[in-house]
Amino acid sequence: MNELKIGTTDGRTSLEPGEQIEVVAEWQLDERPSAVELRLVWYTQGKGDEDVQIVDSTRFDAPAVFESRRWTVQLPNGPYSFSGKLISLIWALELVVEPSEESRRLDLIVAPHGQEVVLHRDFAAT
Amino acid sequence: MKARDNPFRTGRVLTVRYRLPDQTWPELLQRLATLNYRAAIVGPEGSGKTTLLEDLAVQLAELGRTTRSLRLNRQQPRLSRDRLIQFFAELNPPDIVLLDGAEQMGPLAWRRFQFRTRHCGGLVITSHHGSLLPTLIHTSTTPELFNDIVSELIPDHALALRATTDALFHQHRGNLRDALRELYDRWSHGTLPMQITPTATSP
Repeated sequence: MNELKIGTTDGRTSLEPGEQIEVVAEWQLDERPSAVELRLVWYTQGKGDEDVQIVDSTRFDAPAVFESRRWTVQLPNGPYSFSGKLISLIWALELVVEPSEESRRLDLIVAPHGQEVVLHRDFAAT
Repeated sequence: MKARDNPFRTGRVLTVRYRLPDQTWPELLQRLATLNYRAAIVGPEGSGKTTLLEDLAVQLAELGRTTRSLRLNRQQPRLSRDRLIQFFAELNPPDIVLLDGAEQMGPLAWRRFQFRTRHCGGLVITSHHGSLLPTLIHTSTTPELFNDIVSELIPDHALALRATTDALFHQHRGNLRDALRELYDRWSHGTLPMQITPTATSP
């Protein structure tokens, strides 16, 4: 059974726009992959069709079946992680194994003070 | 209510796959083979035709068959000339073409498309009506099916929602896509029964 792990070396998932982070990825596979790719993406969730944007990536060709790799990546200044009622924009790190396309995703928050921007708030009537 | 937490968001709804009501996948695939892989999935809007076509692609891949997909809808009822040129340039003889939304094509465009795919491995379409190709399967919906889908999406609350889902099913005349979108809206506004907290009344 394959095992895939991805995260930041310091374990943080709430991040500031523009900061540099170090990603650590580990995999233990039943079969030797042709490549492993690490991606920084944002994607949308909500009422409409999902969008995905690969912002940055790095590829390891012909890796071993059992490896750990690190990747330093600069977060862009935007867009911020946000949520409204109709749509959320979510940042994530992805580990993708080729050719099987098996993957693991870790959601992140990329926004000022590491806090997702909420587009609406319900205020109690006073 | 954040969009990413809404149980009826598109990403979650798309994980619900087609439920064959009266037959198994081997039986359906056998029928498709009998029709020489040229057939139509027929049904009204929101009855699961696109979902079934996608699941069929997976089943065909497991049989070692290659498929090439095209999709038409009301927002995009035609394929651009460049897109068609690219599609047919990349089409190989064994490929089975999966065309979603064939009813969007005019008669002339349909005849041209049939002609250009005549030598490929097959052509399976979705359509609202059954006159374009032999019917592989009719898709239809029931209140029970809708409730089953809702149960898959929110297993802890489906029973409490039964009256709501029955009403939505009839309101949207069996169009599950529209009914699920309304559930999305109601959840986001906090107006579903299990989201409304009863207010205490004075003695």
